[in-house]
Amino acid sequence: MKKLGLLLSLLLLTGCNIAVLEPKSETASDQAFLIVFSFWLMMIVVLTVFVLFVRFVYKYRYTDNKKDFMPKDVKGNKKLEATWIILPILLLAVLAVPTIAITYEQSPVAGDQSDHEGTHIYVTAQQFSWTFEHETGKEVQNDLVIPEGESIILHLNSKDVIHSFWVPHLGGKVDVLPGEELVYVIENPEIGTYQGKCAEYCGIQHAKMTFEANVVSIEDYERYVNED
Amino acid sequence: MDIPLFGDTLFVPTDVMAAWVFTILMAIPIGLFILKKKKVGLIFDYVKTTNHRKIGTLYILFGIVYFFRAGVDALFIRAQLAFPNNDFWVFQGEKYNEVFTTHGTLMIFFVAMPLLLGLMNVVVPLQIGARDLAFPFLNAVGFWLFFAGSVFFNVSFFINMTPEIGWTGYAPLSTEQFTPGAGTDFYVFGLQISGLGTIFTALNLIVTIIRHRAPGMKMTRMPLFAWATLITSLLIIIAFSVLAIALYLLMFDRQFGTGFFSGSEGDPVFWQHLFWIFGHPEVYILALPAFGVFSDIISTFSKKVIFGYPIMVISIALIGFLGFMVWAHHMFTVGLGPMANTFFAITTMAIAVPTGIKVFNWLFTIRGGVVRFTTPMLFALGFIPSFVMGGVTGVMLSVSAANFQFHDTHFVVAHFHYVIIASTIFGIFAGLYYWYPKITGFVLGEKLGRWHFWTFLIGFHLTFFPMHITGLEGVPRRVYTYTEADGIFLLNFTSTIGAFLMGISMLFLVWNVYKTHTNGKKVGNDPWDGRTLEWYVPSPAPVQTFDPMPIVKEIDPLWYTKLENRSLRTTTSTRPAPIETESFIPISMAMALFLLSLGLTFSLYWLAIVGGIGVLGLFIVRSFTDEREHVYGKEDSYE
Repeated sequence: MKKLGLLLSLLLLTGCNIAVLEPKSETASDQAFLIVFSFWLMMIVVLTVFVLFVRFVYKYRYTDNKKDFMPKDVKGNKKLEATWIILPILLLAVLAVPTIAITYEQSPVAGDQSDHEGTHIYVTAQQFSWTFEHETGKEVQNDLVIPEGESIILHLNSKDVIHSFWVPHLGGKVDVLPGEELVYVIENPEIGTYQGKCAEYCGIQHAKMTFEANVVSIEDYERYVNED
Repeated sequence: MDIPLFGDTLFVPTDVMAAWVFTILMAIPIGLFILKKKKVGLIFDYVKTTNHRKIGTLYILFGIVYFFRAGVDALFIRAQLAFPNNDFWVFQGEKYNEVFTTHGTLMIFFVAMPLLLGLMNVVVPLQIGARDLAFPFLNAVGFWLFFAGSVFFNVSFFINMTPEIGWTGYAPLSTEQFTPGAGTDFYVFGLQISGLGTIFTALNLIVTIIRHRAPGMKMTRMPLFAWATLITSLLIIIAFSVLAIALYLLMFDRQFGTGFFSGSEGDPVFWQHLFWIFGHPEVYILALPAFGVFSDIISTFSKKVIFGYPIMVISIALIGFLGFMVWAHHMFTVGLGPMANTFFAITTMAIAVPTGIKVFNWLFTIRGGVVRFTTPMLFALGFIPSFVMGGVTGVMLSVSAANFQFHDTHFVVAHFHYVIIASTIFGIFAGLYYWYPKITGFVLGEKLGRWHFWTFLIGFHLTFFPMHITGLEGVPRRVYTYTEADGIFLLNFTSTIGAFLMGISMLFLVWNVYKTHTNGKKVGNDPWDGRTLEWYVPSPAPVQTFDPMPIVKEIDPLWYTKLENRSLRTTTSTRPAPIETESFIPISMAMALFLLSLGLTFSLYWLAIVGGIGVLGLFIVRSFTDEREHVYGKEDSYE
C-alpha cells in the first residue's frame, strides 16, 4: 500500500496525462492547486497512521515467548487523546482557508444572481447532446468554441433531465438542471482542444454525451461567431 | 434471444435467460438436498420463528446470497470496462445502466444492511445480557419486510424490467416522463418495503438496549458494538424515515401524476436533498456498526481493554450527529451557492476529527498488547490502513472547489468503495468469522480464512486504487466505454483483475463454510478467549440464554472473571424477558405488502386492494393475539 501511495505521488509529480492536474484555465489551476495541496496535507495523516500501524503491529505481535504475558490495561491517556483531537483540527483549519477562498470565487450560482462581465455562452443540454449558443445567436451542436484569455460565462439549462457540464482541463463541473438556469464562469482558458462530457448519469446513452471544447484566439472567435 | 410463446415471439435478453437457467439449476439440487435431509421442518421453524439468533441468521443468509448477486453485477461492470471500446456480452448502454443500478442498490440495501442487522440481532442481546430483542414479533416483521422488499426488487431482473436510474434514483430521470417502465417502480417499492422493516428493527434494537440490559450492565459498561448499534439505530430511525418520505413522494409523482420533483411547481433538487439527508447518514449507518465490531475485535485479540472508552463512545455519537449536517456535500455542483458550499465543506471536514480519534485509539489499543493474527483480527488490521486511505480522499472531496473536479468521477467511486468496503465489508467479514461460533457452534477454518483475507485485500486495492487516477484523468462514473486514446486501458485492466481476484476470494469463504460444516468440530462457549458476555453463553447461543442472569460489575465482565479466576455472580430475579412466540403473521404481512406493491406497479388496483386489506386484516388479527397469555396466564381484569 505504501508503494501504491508512492506511485500516486510520482504520477502527481510527472502529471502523466492526468487531465485534472494539467489545468488549461485559471479556474482549473485553482482547483488543481487545491487538489495537490489537500493531497499533501493528507499524506501527513496517511504516513503518520501507516508508521504507527506498522510499528505497533510488528512490535506487539504474538510470539511464543509472550505466551503467558499479560499486557497491562491502559484505559486511556488524556494528553495523547488531546493531541489527536487538536492536531487534526489545526490541519483542517489550514485546509479550510484556501477552500473557502476558492469556493466563494468559483461556486456556480443561479442565473439571476450573476453579474459577471465576459463572453456569454448559452448551453442547453438534452438527452444526449449539447447545444451551444453564442451571443450573436449562432447555435452549434456538440462543439464548443470559446476565446482564450476571457471570462467565459456559461448559462446552463437542460431540456429534460439533469446533466452535468464538464471539461476536465478547463475546470468544472456544474450541473445542468431543467427549469433553473445555473451560471458557471471559466476564467482565462488557454488555446487548445479539450474533451468535454456529461458527468451526471442521464439515461441510456449517457456515456456518449460528449463534446469538444476548442479554445481559440480572440480574432478567430470573432470570425467564428459571425460566420454562418 | 427470441422465444416462441403462444404463437407470439417473446424477446428475452440472454442475460435474463442465463439468470433463469442458473436459478433453476441451483433450485433443483437445493430442493433435493432439503427433501433428502428432511429439512422442510427446519425451514418452517425458521419461517415462523421470532428468536433473535434465528432471525439474525436469516438476515445474514440472505445478505450473503445478495452479496453474490451484486458481486456478479460488479464483475459484469468490470468485464465491460476491461478493454477500450469493449463489447462484453450485453452490457453496453441500457444493460450497463441496469447493472450498475442493481449493483449499487443491492449492495447498500440488501447486502450491507441485512448483514449488519443480522450481526446486531445475533450479538447485541448476547452482549448486553438480554434474552431476546424487546419485541420479538416485531423483529420477525422487520426481517420479513426486508425479505419481501428484496425479493420484489430482484424479481424485476427476471422479467427484464430492471431499474436503470442509478442507486440514487435522481429525479427527473426517475419520474414517469423519463422512465415510464415498471423498472423504477420496482426500485421505489422494493426500497420502501424493506426500509420499513429496517425502521422497525432499529426501534426494536433501541428499546432492547435501553430496557433489557443485564443487572449492573450500565450504559457505560456496554461493549462498543452495542453502543454503535444504539447510535446507528437512532440514525436509522431518522434517515430511513426521510427515505420513506422521498420514495412516497416519488411514488405519487409516478403513479398519480403529482409534481413534487418535476414540472413548474416541483424541483428535481428536492429529491437530491431528501435522498442525501437519508443517504449521508446511511453511510454512517453502514460504518458505525463496523467500527463497533472492530473495537471489540481489536480489544479481544490485543488482550487489552479498549483505549479511551469514553471518547470512543463520544466520537461515535459525534459522527452520528455530524452525519446529519453534511448531506449537501453530495450536491456541491447543483448551484446551492457559495455560502452553502462552504458550510457543508467545513462540516464535512469536521467529521474527520472524531473518525481520526477512533483510528488513533485503535492503534493505541494495539500498543502494549499481544496481537494474535486470527482471521477476524486480520480483517480488523486490514481495515485500519485501507480505511484511512478512503478517509483522506474523503477530506480531499470535502474541499468544495476541488470537488467540482472530483464530483461524479471514478475518483468518487474509488473513495466510497474504499470507505465502505474497508469499514462495512471488512467489518462484516470480521464479525462473521468472530461470531460464527455463536451462530453455528463452529469456528471457521483459519487457513482458508487467511486466504480469503489476503486475496480479498489485494483484490480490493487492485480494483479501486487505479480508479483514483482514472477519475483525475477525466472518466465520469456510470459510463460503459472509453477509447484507446483516453490512455486509461492499463489502469482499467488492473481494476478488472482486482475485481476478479475479489470474486475468487469469496470462493475461499464458500469453501471454508462447506469444510467447516463437514469436518469441523463444535467449540465451547469461549473459543477466542473473549472479554464480553456473549462468550459466557454456549455456542451456538441457545434459545433460552442467561438463565440464571449474570450480574455485571465492570466493562469486559467475562475477561476479568477469567483473569481473577472467579465466576460471574448471577441472580434469578430479573426483569420480565420478551416472550418467544411462533407465528406466520409476520411473513404473511410482508407477502400482503408485496402483493400491494405488485398491484400498484402494474396498475392492477384490485390486487393492490387485496394486498392492502390483507395487511390491515393481519393488523387486526395481531391486535387480538396475546402470546404472553400462555406464560403469564390471562391478565386479571380490574373492572
